[in-house]
Amino acid sequence: MADTPAALGHEIDRSGDPLIRVEGVWKIFGRHADRVIGTPDADLPRAELREKHGCVAAVRNVTFDVWPREVFVVMGLSGSGKSTLVRTLIRLIEPTAGRVEIAGKDVTAASQTELRELRRHTSSMVFQHFGLLAHRRVIDNVAFGLEIQGVPKAERLERAGKILRLVGLEDSGNQFPDQLSGGMQQRVGLARAFAVDPAVMLYDEPFSALDPLIRRDMQDEVIRLQHDTGKTMVFITHDLPEALRLGDRIAIMRDGAIVQLGTPEELVGSPADEYVENFVRDIPRSHVLTLRWIMRDARPGEADGPRLDVRTTVRNAIPVIVASERAVCAVEGDSVVGVVDREAVLTAIAGES
Amino acid sequence: MVAQAAGALAAPAPLPWWRGRRGAVVAVAVGIVIAFFGWKSQVPWPAALTWNSLSHDLDNFQAWLSNNRNVPHPSVFFRAFNGIATFLDDLVGWLTSFFFKLTWAGTTALGTLVVLRFGGRRAALGVLTAFLLFAAMGLWDPVVRTFALTFASVSLSLLIGQPLGILAGRSDRFQRLVTPVLDAMQIVPAFAYLMPIVILFSVGPGAAVATTLIYAIPPAIRITALGIRGVPTNTVEAAEALGATRLQTLVKVQLPLARRMLLLSVNQTILFALSMVVIAGLIGGEGLGSVVTSGLYSDPAQALLAGAAIVVMAIALDRATEAMAIRTDPAQRHLTEGKRRTLRLYTAACATAVGLAVGLGYAFGAGSVWSRWTASDWLLARIQRVLDYVQSPTTFIFHITSPVGNFLVQYGLSPLRSFFVETPWPAMAFGLALIAFLLSGLRPAVTTLVMLAVIGLSNEWVNAMDTLSQVLVATVFTLLVGIPLGVWAAESTRARKTMRPVLDILQTLPQLVYIIPFIYLMPVSLVPGVLASVLYAAPVVIRLVEAGVREVSPHPVEAADSFGATRLQTLLKVKIPLARDAIMLGVNQGIIMVLAVVVIAGLVGSGALGYDVAQGLQQSLFGQGVLASVAILALGITLDRITQGRRRKRIELT
Amino acid sequence: MKVRAGGLAILVAIGVVALTAGGADAKQSACGTVTLNQQAWAGSEANTYVAKNVLEKIGCTVKITTITEVPVYQAMADGKTDAVLEDWGHVPQQQQYVAKQKTVVDEGPNGVTGVIGWYIPTYLMKAHPEFKTWKGLKGKESLFKSPESGSQGMFLGGDPSYQQKDKTLITALGLNLKFVSVGAEPAQVARWTQLYKQNKPVLFYWYDPQYLNAQYKLSQIQLPARFKGCKDDEKQGGNPKQYACAYPSYTLEKFFSAKFAKSGSPAVAVLKRFSWSNADQNSVAGAIAGQHVDPDKAAQKWIAANQAKVNKWLGK
Repeated sequence: MADTPAALGHEIDRSGDPLIRVEGVWKIFGRHADRVIGTPDADLPRAELREKHGCVAAVRNVTFDVWPREVFVVMGLSGSGKSTLVRTLIRLIEPTAGRVEIAGKDVTAASQTELRELRRHTSSMVFQHFGLLAHRRVIDNVAFGLEIQGVPKAERLERAGKILRLVGLEDSGNQFPDQLSGGMQQRVGLARAFAVDPAVMLYDEPFSALDPLIRRDMQDEVIRLQHDTGKTMVFITHDLPEALRLGDRIAIMRDGAIVQLGTPEELVGSPADEYVENFVRDIPRSHVLTLRWIMRDARPGEADGPRLDVRTTVRNAIPVIVASERAVCAVEGDSVVGVVDREAVLTAIAGES
Repeated sequence: MVAQAAGALAAPAPLPWWRGRRGAVVAVAVGIVIAFFGWKSQVPWPAALTWNSLSHDLDNFQAWLSNNRNVPHPSVFFRAFNGIATFLDDLVGWLTSFFFKLTWAGTTALGTLVVLRFGGRRAALGVLTAFLLFAAMGLWDPVVRTFALTFASVSLSLLIGQPLGILAGRSDRFQRLVTPVLDAMQIVPAFAYLMPIVILFSVGPGAAVATTLIYAIPPAIRITALGIRGVPTNTVEAAEALGATRLQTLVKVQLPLARRMLLLSVNQTILFALSMVVIAGLIGGEGLGSVVTSGLYSDPAQALLAGAAIVVMAIALDRATEAMAIRTDPAQRHLTEGKRRTLRLYTAACATAVGLAVGLGYAFGAGSVWSRWTASDWLLARIQRVLDYVQSPTTFIFHITSPVGNFLVQYGLSPLRSFFVETPWPAMAFGLALIAFLLSGLRPAVTTLVMLAVIGLSNEWVNAMDTLSQVLVATVFTLLVGIPLGVWAAESTRARKTMRPVLDILQTLPQLVYIIPFIYLMPVSLVPGVLASVLYAAPVVIRLVEAGVREVSPHPVEAADSFGATRLQTLLKVKIPLARDAIMLGVNQGIIMVLAVVVIAGLVGSGALGYDVAQGLQQSLFGQGVLASVAILALGITLDRITQGRRRKRIELT
Repeated sequence: MKVRAGGLAILVAIGVVALTAGGADAKQSACGTVTLNQQAWAGSEANTYVAKNVLEKIGCTVKITTITEVPVYQAMADGKTDAVLEDWGHVPQQQQYVAKQKTVVDEGPNGVTGVIGWYIPTYLMKAHPEFKTWKGLKGKESLFKSPESGSQGMFLGGDPSYQQKDKTLITALGLNLKFVSVGAEPAQVARWTQLYKQNKPVLFYWYDPQYLNAQYKLSQIQLPARFKGCKDDEKQGGNPKQYACAYPSYTLEKFFSAKFAKSGSPAVAVLKRFSWSNADQNSVAGAIAGQHVDPDKAAQKWIAANQAKVNKWLGK
């Protein structure tokens, strides 16, 4: 959520260029995909497109940027195209049209060698069903990416050992994947992805195969790792609470297209259409919205009330507002940017039912 | 209001069954029957539409091959084949004398200890029993020769087949290209191409290996491809996402994880190679095969004994390779350094023991000693007694089987054969094509027509229809027997365990060896051939169906249980429908297996195409043999297309 | 370490054995190794094993191959088989290998005359003396009915590898018989012996020499006399009337590989002189296939009882 310590201390670097640029990416499956792209038929609803051309448009004209150190979440139900989208970023699935740029390199136009170099050193991926090698020890699995790069055995095992410590599995290095629980196996997956020290990390529904209690621990783990290492992450999920918890910005996908792209509060506070509204309906708004959403301009004489950071969620602000008779000042840095009173809080909470 | 709504929601009344597709098929069949009764024998395939000279042309081709091969200075083409043949002959010869030099004691020790080291005690015991049985049967010499032949064939099949299988596993296009070729390799009877092989490779172990390769490479390719494709997608993607090259992905991920299937391909290749042993005997591949072929005419007891030895070898090899596959799986074994050291010691100990055994063998002349202990006379006498009983028409079994057989032929198989042969060809051809269209779509219907045209053109219409009638009966019975037994085996471990050795025997015992005695019990044509087909094809169907039903996801089964379904209901409504893919594969493989027996059936009274193929080889009518084989292949393709149903392509989205 | 060295030593020992394998173990004799081919039927087994035992008397090592009839010509062309002692006349093979390529040599008759014809059990002949000639069958064909022949009588065809023209012959003679092919000889034997044992009528393609002829009493039906231009190969097609004659008698011949014939081995002369009668062959074949005597023993028994003949082959 927006005011977890990690979030508050989480600085997205918007100073330079975005680390990942995705422009107009399409993916159409089917034999006549290249005939359909670029024509108005590409915009047909799914059923009609299949009828007419036998093609399926999995990703439609997706455009977004991801900034360094940002956690960018792509969310959607099954069939929305999110897993296909994340795979087009490193061309595990070839996009039908569009352009992807990572760290300044044009991925879509890259040669096989360049692509491989990119995959080895710039990006890494964590998978829903872990993708571990059953015939190798945990430590060998973690070192697998380094092995592919050609790092000598002693060195890569040492680095793998360090990473295992990072994810808290230093005692399991000599075990085999089938001896570990699901959560531990996914930690190995995480460790493997971190071991190659990538700039960009892609997560394809990594926790969907785990049970809910473990899922929350793993979310915390990812948050912690992100905070410690500052990696840029593209995170795919179908779970809205997870998206809201982890994401700096969230893109909601439906039938291959992005329906709304924004911060958690933007999604919850002003959903773009009925679809998104339906989605966020069950989220308690007070848990997501910050003071920025419910503040109003300060009237004369209100500037000396209790002060709270503008990024504080309404829920966390309630005790302060209740305890105080005066309106609470929302501050950004040192300056007061707005004021929140009980009325505003009650309106916000009322909107939740 | 509610009533109106309910009315609007009510489902439309279902169509009566005869309105739908099934009804159409029945209508077409009825149409063909009417054509039969109306114009019986009046519209045979027109002689004008046959390519008459084709047979002669093919004969001339074979003569040309022979005449150009057997000159003092043959061309490079023939010399290349000569070279390969010599290499294969030498390879098999070397292997044979190696095992002879080791003596029976040494070979037994080698085999048993290798299996013990890599496969465990149970498998090793099986191997030891097999070796003792070979000695008892007095067949050690042919066993070694057959083993050398099989070893060479299997090694080469794997050497060629597994890389091709990997290619087929990774490239959809290659798989599409190669599948029909593999089907043809498995359906076209070896008899058809035996003469050209003999001309190119001469006679001997080399030709035998070449013939075996043609039959044994397809399973190597198919199963390897299946294994590669079966590696979990996420794991392959993980390697790709980490920037692995294609080679790295293959070697570090796909091959190790496809291990189970790769070893299954070894196992199946061995069984397929062993099933060619008898044919190998006809062209100079010495061993158990030639004991069988020479025994069939003059000493059926000896042929049966040799057949039993083949079965023993097949089962022993099958169990041993399976055990070794399971035992050496690194994913299961979790090898640490300490464990590795212990295993190395174990290996060394076994090697020492083998050396000792070889030494002992020489010291005590144990190579020949076993012949004193052999029980072959006793065994042969016992078998002969059984055969004498079977061959007498005064036994009570005969009084049951003979009338049954007569009835089946007179009122079942013979009329059915007449129906197929004598129906006017347009009715039959277009009728079958129409049925194909109704069941499976336009493309299969066109293929059916083309195949039937090929059959007519090669002047094999009558024979093909004859064989078709028998193949249909055999297939129906195979499925009637195989599917229920397969389901039963899936449901009951005890059934599966009891069935397994029986299935192994049926798949590996040379058929002529047990079918010819059967003719004494049922002295009619057609039935022994159908029986041979069913007995050969049913095990495959049983195994495939069993695997399919067993692998059905437990969730829908659970759901059915929770609704209070009986076992039978769950079976019929949930498991079998969900195992549909496996069952359809079983149907497809069942048809292939039945077609594989057509030639053998021809040798026991089924006549038609099988007889023509056999005669083609044995009277040097190459053209006839080829055309009859092409007709068999065409029938196979037709039946496959008709039964494949409508396959829908699914594109998965996430 | 010690264990490893020990294991290694043993493996080296096995390796040495392996490397020395493949060496020929043939005894060095003036005769060397002779390879005879045994065809599928018992008669061929009989003459092959008798020849084998005779050749062993003069110091030859004899190998026996079991290559089937047609490919064996290629085997002889390549020198992998030296001799076939009983061939029933494979015209295309003889054209290719003997006449054109000269890789195989025809060494003349082996003394046995092959007779092919239509046979019925003797008890049937006794009950129906009119069956002595084929004309007697006319009108009585339904006697031979079987489940697969419908209302017609059944004629049991022979092994696919045997020369036969019965289908055409039946049409040519205008008989109401259905030609039923029952497959290979063991299958055909199963059919007619079962009917014989039940004293039932059966009409079938059969021949001599055949070991069963001693066990079962069979009589031959006389077919139309041979005329000039009479055809025997069904595959040639044409007017069925051209086939309306009895089968010719076959002089069974011996064929040697050209390489063997020119080799100057003493075995060549002995095999050239090999010659015996139908009765001889049937008796040995009967012992092997009928009484299941070991082929070598059956051969030796016959040799012991027929020294004079054997001596002639040996040139004594």
